[in-house]
Amino acid sequence: MRINKRLYKIAICFLVIALLSGCGTSRELNELGIVIGVGIDKEEESDAVKITTQVVKPGQVSSGGKGGGGGEEAYANFEETGRTVFAAIRGIANKSSRKMYFPHNQVIIIGQNAAKDGVTKYLDFFMRDPETRLNVYLLVAKDTAAEVLETKSKLERVPGNSISLMLDSEANAASQAIDIRLRDFKESLQLKTVASVAPIIEVSEENGKKTATLNGTAVFKGDKMVGTLDKSEGRGLMWVLGKVKSGIIEVECSNGNLVALETVRAKGEFSSELVDGKVKIKVKISEEGNIGEDAGTEDISTLDEVAFLEQQNADVIKSEVMAAVKKAEELDADIFGFGESVHRKYPKEWTSMEDKWDEIFPTIEVEVEVEAKLRLMGRINAPSVPQ
Amino acid sequence: MFNYIQKVIRYRKMTSSGGSGAKESPEAPKESSDELSEDLEANIQLIQGIIVESNDLNIRRFVIGKKVKAAIIYIDGLVDKTLVNETILKPLMYHSEMDSPPETVDIDYVESELLFVGGIDSKQKVNEAVNKILSGDTVFLMDGAAKALIIALRGWKMRGIEEPETEATVRGPREGFTETLRINTSMIRRKIKNPNLKFETLTVGDRTKTDVCIAYITDLAKPELIEEVKRRLNKIKTEAVLESGYIEQYIEDAPYSIFATVGNSEKPDKVAAKLLDGRVAIIIDGTPFVLTVPCVFIESFQSPEDYYSRFAFTSALRMIRFTAFFISILAPAIYVALSTFHQELIPTQLILSMAAAHEGVPFPSLVEATIMLLFFEILREAGVRLPRPIGQAVSIVGALVIGEAAVTAGLIGAPMVIVIAVTAVSSFTIPAQLDSGTIIRIVLLILAGFLGGFGIAIGMFALLIHMVNLESFGTPYLMPIAPFDKSGLKDSFIRAPLWTMLKRPKGMSMDDVKQKKPSGPPPFNEN
Repeated sequence: MRINKRLYKIAICFLVIALLSGCGTSRELNELGIVIGVGIDKEEESDAVKITTQVVKPGQVSSGGKGGGGGEEAYANFEETGRTVFAAIRGIANKSSRKMYFPHNQVIIIGQNAAKDGVTKYLDFFMRDPETRLNVYLLVAKDTAAEVLETKSKLERVPGNSISLMLDSEANAASQAIDIRLRDFKESLQLKTVASVAPIIEVSEENGKKTATLNGTAVFKGDKMVGTLDKSEGRGLMWVLGKVKSGIIEVECSNGNLVALETVRAKGEFSSELVDGKVKIKVKISEEGNIGEDAGTEDISTLDEVAFLEQQNADVIKSEVMAAVKKAEELDADIFGFGESVHRKYPKEWTSMEDKWDEIFPTIEVEVEVEAKLRLMGRINAPSVPQ
Repeated sequence: MFNYIQKVIRYRKMTSSGGSGAKESPEAPKESSDELSEDLEANIQLIQGIIVESNDLNIRRFVIGKKVKAAIIYIDGLVDKTLVNETILKPLMYHSEMDSPPETVDIDYVESELLFVGGIDSKQKVNEAVNKILSGDTVFLMDGAAKALIIALRGWKMRGIEEPETEATVRGPREGFTETLRINTSMIRRKIKNPNLKFETLTVGDRTKTDVCIAYITDLAKPELIEEVKRRLNKIKTEAVLESGYIEQYIEDAPYSIFATVGNSEKPDKVAAKLLDGRVAIIIDGTPFVLTVPCVFIESFQSPEDYYSRFAFTSALRMIRFTAFFISILAPAIYVALSTFHQELIPTQLILSMAAAHEGVPFPSLVEATIMLLFFEILREAGVRLPRPIGQAVSIVGALVIGEAAVTAGLIGAPMVIVIAVTAVSSFTIPAQLDSGTIIRIVLLILAGFLGGFGIAIGMFALLIHMVNLESFGTPYLMPIAPFDKSGLKDSFIRAPLWTMLKRPKGMSMDDVKQKKPSGPPPFNEN
């Protein structure tokens, strides 16, 4: 009798464990709609938000799977509108056989309209919900996000995946579009004077096929998009932030031929100074590169020529940075975080400056110092034509 | 948890023993304490009255010196007949032809002057004589003597010394124990030529009267340990002991645990090494498996070959064995937990291929894994019991069915086949934990299937709590790890060079602090 009671107690313990295990309900893999990309658009006429989710069809995506696709799309896009993002996402349940599963989401693309409207209300769900991730890439579409998610990638089977891979490889090869994750974006939103940025993605047509292309950087003031940087301005921003990993700089050598220099290492930092109550920013960039290509026939491997190329290289970098600064000052958006640097160095003075930063920022003097070095000539020292 | 269940069962046993009581120990073959008399025929009658009429019982009557009647009694097949003829019958019967026989021939004269045999003992009790007959000794009875001479001329057909199949080694001695106790003790004696090596024999099993021999080195094994082993062996109340497993199950510390707290081996070199650590070996007549106590968890990961190969590779092997053990108990559970609860932990590319493989599979992952594990166990069992050629055929068919056909038919996902295959192969690296591992694996799998990673955590904690509670003859089961012993770690996850291992395993031998005698780096290193 007593034994039975004890066994009951043990059974109850197990039952409690099973019932109290929170949101740990089991879901089989084939019950999940794995979301790879999300598009957020603002409807033209109404205030409603249109959510596009891109869900993988696992049977089609893996080469190991049976059949391997056979021309069928490896993804499905679901669209739903609602007054809030969450309602729209839950609304998709009416159209999809599988529950939307967000942890593997690669990109969030915000349509132009939504970006200009202010992104806070659209991104709140993605920052708050425990199932989504903060390391998802954030992009702004030149037109609508839904359109971007409909493009075909030439290499990948799922556009959302293609876009995130594109951002990775772009950062390592060209460094012209800044890669921003939701976490970074959230941080810059929280800082009052810092303007957020996000890469722009546009739809371009090639042989009747729509593909997605990275082109420029969107600049936000507060949570509203106010302007764009082009590719070289975008890299100007990256130089200052020290985010350039690699890139090609075209310069002319002393006799006018084009030479392509490859950046292999770059460091960028800036410091602020208050001179007579005026803010002065000193940007210091050090870069190391190789000669990647020489379009001319003269030997450029002389010391004089190398020094000349280094100077040219530094000038290009400086001009890119100055262009970015100019654009930022025009937009009155502190994309570099100069204000934060002043804040750190002059906390007392900052209290009075913080509210007036919009007026101060366009007037600050920026001094750029670039130290460019050329290290390697490449496999051949001189052009392969006889002198 | 396990302890609790154990207590419950113990409690139940206590309450129920009041009623019917423990199983009555069967009467040994008409236990009689009768003394032998001086009458030969009466004595023979007495013995025949105890041993049922059986045609392998041989009673040979003869006359010494034409006047004294005598007889030898033995079991046909258990004695060396040539020796019996040469050393008992021939001198005694030939004695009648002797030139000057003494006036009286008494049994002491026979023992001291006539028998050409080394091992002679005398007994006065009938049942003692009977037991000796049944063990293979020859009993000599004589008219006018109220005692029997027990002549040890045992000899029977036995298996030769072969390489043990259960513990194959690449490098190391190839001999294995046999079914005969004496040969086994001799093999240990040949390894340890130390005057302190001691064998003590007792008899266990009311009907089988099996010889059980305790072996230890007197100045290494703790006296308490020896006492404890003897106490437990003497407490065994059983009818039959046919294999060392019988003894093991009667003397182990935690009979309800899934872990074995008594070790066993077929290899004399392994047993010798354990004796030199201060352990006690229990050799049972009739089986090549010798038990060693205490037995701790870490021993499952040590192979005699570890000490014969050089240390760097052996250390790597140790770590591989530990990894394999954890894979073998955790892999299916982790796979199921990840794919049904924690999909966010899987890298995106991996989850896409996993999802692709699971597409169209009709079962939930837990059921899928359980089916596969069950099928693997069936396959293993089928392969073990069948004769080797058929066993191989079974494995091939089974592997084809589960590996290929089930995946092609879309019944099982390919990743699941890989996980179960990896699990199965890993489990074979630690043969000593094969049975406990199987149970842990299935329990963890079910916990993972219902509770995910949380379930695995619960399972592992329960396992850990159980393991730290276990003891084997006074030694904690997780010995060098918990309680922690720094010098013991030299022979656990790695195997340090032999000359750095200066101490015997802690808590086992009498002089656990004392150094092993000659030690130090190889002599050629000393300048």
